[in-house]
Order: sequence, then C-alpha cells, then structure tokens
Amino acid sequence: MTLSYSDIFSDHLANPRNAGELADADVVAEETNPVCGDRLRLSLRIRDGRIDAARFLAYGCPPTLACGSAIAEMIQGTTIHEATKLTKNEIVAAVGGLPSRKQHAASLAIETLRAAIIKHASEDGE
Amino acid sequence: MLTPSASQQQPRFGSRISDAWTEISVVMRKVYLDHSATTPIDSRVLEAMLPYLTEKFGNASSVHMFGQEARAAVDKARRQVASLVGARANEVVFTSGGTEANNLAIRGICEVAKAHGRHVITSAIEHPSVRGVVDEIEKEGWEITRLPVYDNGIVRIDDLRAAIRSDTILISVMTANNEIGTNQPIAEIGALVVEEREHGHRHLCFHTDAVQAAGRLPIDVQALGCDLLSLSAHKIYAPKGTGALFIRRGVRLAPQQVGGHQERERRAGTESVANIVAFGTAAELAKKEMDQRNDHTRRLRDRFETEVEDRIPDIVFNGDREQRLPHLSNISFRFIEGEGLLIHLDMQGVAVSTGSACSSGTLEPSPVIRALGRNEELARGAIRFSFGKDSTDEDVDYAVTALLRAVESLRELSPLSRKSLVAN
Repeated sequence: MTLSYSDIFSDHLANPRNAGELADADVVAEETNPVCGDRLRLSLRIRDGRIDAARFLAYGCPPTLACGSAIAEMIQGTTIHEATKLTKNEIVAAVGGLPSRKQHAASLAIETLRAAIIKHASEDGE
Repeated sequence: MLTPSASQQQPRFGSRISDAWTEISVVMRKVYLDHSATTPIDSRVLEAMLPYLTEKFGNASSVHMFGQEARAAVDKARRQVASLVGARANEVVFTSGGTEANNLAIRGICEVAKAHGRHVITSAIEHPSVRGVVDEIEKEGWEITRLPVYDNGIVRIDDLRAAIRSDTILISVMTANNEIGTNQPIAEIGALVVEEREHGHRHLCFHTDAVQAAGRLPIDVQALGCDLLSLSAHKIYAPKGTGALFIRRGVRLAPQQVGGHQERERRAGTESVANIVAFGTAAELAKKEMDQRNDHTRRLRDRFETEVEDRIPDIVFNGDREQRLPHLSNISFRFIEGEGLLIHLDMQGVAVSTGSACSSGTLEPSPVIRALGRNEELARGAIRFSFGKDSTDEDVDYAVTALLRAVESLRELSPLSRKSLVAN
C-alpha cells in the first residue's frame, strides 16, 4: 500500500464504493472545481424522502476519487434531511484524514451533494 | 448508513478488470520504473566508496597522508568524470548535485558577463533547477527568451538563431529532457555559438544541462562546443548529493559559494570524498557499459510501449519517439488524471512519476507537457516510465498488467470517459 495515505483511503481507491451511474436516477448533479478541474458526479434515486441508491463518478486527484466513493457510500440509505447535515469534516474523517492541501476534495463532495439535493427539491416542486 | 466500512472485496468492475486484478494479486512485486528520478547505487560503486567512509576518511585539503590519500581519490574521480564527457580533468568542478551545477553555471556566467549584456536564451522545457534560476534573474531585470518546442518536444535551431541578440550572453538548453526524454540539437547549438563568436560575439556562452543525458548519450564537450555542462551522480547509479559542472578552460564565472580554496576557487567547501569517488566509479562504468545499458533499456521500453499501445486505447505518446533517450517513455492516458494513476500503480508496487500536481485546489500541470501544445486533460494524464539497467522483462509484464488494471479502473470512474458504467 502507498505510504502517503491511510489504509481506508487506499481501500476507497482500490475498491471504490457505489461507482457508476444510476439508469433510473431521480437526480444527477456534477460539480467541477473551477481552479484545478476536478469533477464529481453524483446520481441519486430518491424514494419517500430517502436516498435509496447513490452512485458516483469522479475525475481528478486521488482524494477526489476517495471522497466521491466515501460520500456515495455514506448517503445511501439516509434521508435527504440527514444527508443535508453531512459536513466536509465527516467526509475527511471517512477517508482516514486528508492533508490540508487536499481538503478541497471533501468540499467538492459536499458541494456536489448539496447541488443534487437543491436540484431535486426544485424539480420536485415544479 | 453513515459509517463507511473498509472493503476487502475485488473492485466492482467488468470481468476483464477482475482478471487483471486476480493476476496482480497473485504475486505482488516491487517494480521501479522511475530511473529518471534516481537510480539505485551499483554494488561496484558502493564497494569503491565505502573505504572513504571508514578508514580513508581524510580531508582532501589536508597536507598529511590521510589528506593526500583523499586528494588522490578525488583527482582520480575527476579524471573519470571528465572522461565520460570528453573533458580535461581540470575542467570539472564537483558540486552538491545537478541543481547546484545549473545554478553555478547560470548565475556564475551572468554575474561576470552582465557588463556585456543582460539577455539569456533558454527553452520552455528546462528542468526546474534551470527554470528557477532563469525566473529569478528575470525578476532582477534580465531579459529572457524561452524557445518553444512544438509538438515533438524539440527546440528549433532557426528559432534560436532568430533569438540571438548582440546583448545575449548565455544560451542554456538541456541536452535531453527529464520528463519526455527528447534530445535537443545541442551540437547544432554549439556550432551556432562558435559561428557567432567568429563574427565578434565574444561574450556569448553556451550551457547545457546533461543530467538526464549523461551515461545514456555519448557526450563529447569538444564536439558539442558547449562551455558549461551539468552532471549529476545519482542518475548514473551513484549516491545522491554529488554533481559536477564542466567549465571549459578559459571560461570565467563567479563562484556562488565562497570561503575556501577548493575546486580551484570555483566552489568552496570540503569535498564529499566518498560521494565523489562513487561518482567517478559510476561515470567510468556508465561510459564502459553505455551501449549495453542502452540496448537493454531500449528493448524493454519499446516492448512496454508496444504492449501498452496494443492493450490500452485512448493514449497519446509525448515527445518525439525517435530523438529521445532510450530508457524513457511518457504517455498521456485520456479521461484520467496522472496522480490517481500514479497512486493506483504504487498500490500495486509499480513506481512511476507524473509532472503534474494538484495542491490546495490549484492545478499545476506539467509545463513540459503543456509546452507540447497538449490540452489540460492530456497534461494532467501524463505519466513517465523510466527503465534502468537492472529492469527485467518480468518488470515490463507486471507493469503492463498493473497499468491496464489501473487505467481501466480509473476510466470506469471517470465522468469524462465513454466507459463509465451504468449501474443499478
């Protein structure tokens, strides 16, 4: 295993959780870090206010991939309300910690989740 | 559920990837394909240097027998290093490495020649140790021309000819590039400089950073016509911490380290005798075994590239594939990012490097790959594989399998890739 990251981080890279896209997603959101170009796409299937299924795709440095994997795993099965309360620090902790220069990867994960939730709420209200 | 769990399962991808994973997980090897970053110490080199770390510990400046023993060893090493590049022994100054050699060459020349002009010509793909000094002197008011390299990664002599001005005092163009391995037209540049001098441009000097090329390309400073040439020990199977600068007889430069008479007043500081002995031995071996090493690494590199080309779509080779060092391959993998690929390979025991870095949310794509005109995606996805004299066919086989798996895994995850899965 690589020495620069934790075992849990390396495991997310080697065995990404919930990778891919949902054919029957209710909402898909993709956010890009405008400075470094990292991208994260989340597709969610939502049933009765609960995230029934979550999948992710990511392009960028390893922390972006690991945070995508972690957030997709963490939100699957939670209510929208619970998912809204998820924080950047919880994502960082879920991947076993990140050096300060790589914390933007966790921010991108949270921003993408929030974008998906807002998009779903607006589409739901239409 | 909000608590993730570590999974020991195989990755959730297609059967072809799982096959590659199974193949990898059977036997985990360590495969070092980063010989352009550094090389392991050759056992013969280690054997030669060890006495100078123990019983032969004298200071080469001391008059007594301990000192003279060390002095003789340094002198021998100087002849060995000089011989590698066709120089005279007294034209070689030992330094702490290639970076110091490049700093000494550029700053040293600029300080003594500034009365004759403040214009320097370099290339867009120099090593950071040249690029950094040039950027610094630019801030101090010097004018800099950075020659483009086009899509093959090679400077054009016509561009250089057009860039030379009456106040140009230094041309610094590397012998071969460290990221893509392209050989630069050094002999033509040397001939142009000689021609310029014959036409009265007396203060024009030519420096070349040969850190990557030495031991891999036959170098003769007389034939090249260069005035200064930088070398590093740890790229040729000697320890880190030693380098050298060839300074042609008659070329004046201002020392950058003062306070001692060592190296004929050109570089103060007690010589690192053991490291210098190692450098000398490594230089002698590199000269003697150059053809054999090059044949070996070229065969492995070419086989690696053929396998990669056959098995992995959407790749772009960076740099001219003929005019390049024999041990190096630089490939951009579309839809994925180099650092992710590097870590995936590292997790499988394969060591490579990438010139791009993402830090604090800011992307620093490799200036070398960007100079080829590649877009940001290709610049981010560029990986350097560099083979060594002890690399094996088994290393190539293992690296190709690991690479296939890493690329496929990352492409499955990439929103840029056509191969992204649709899952339920």
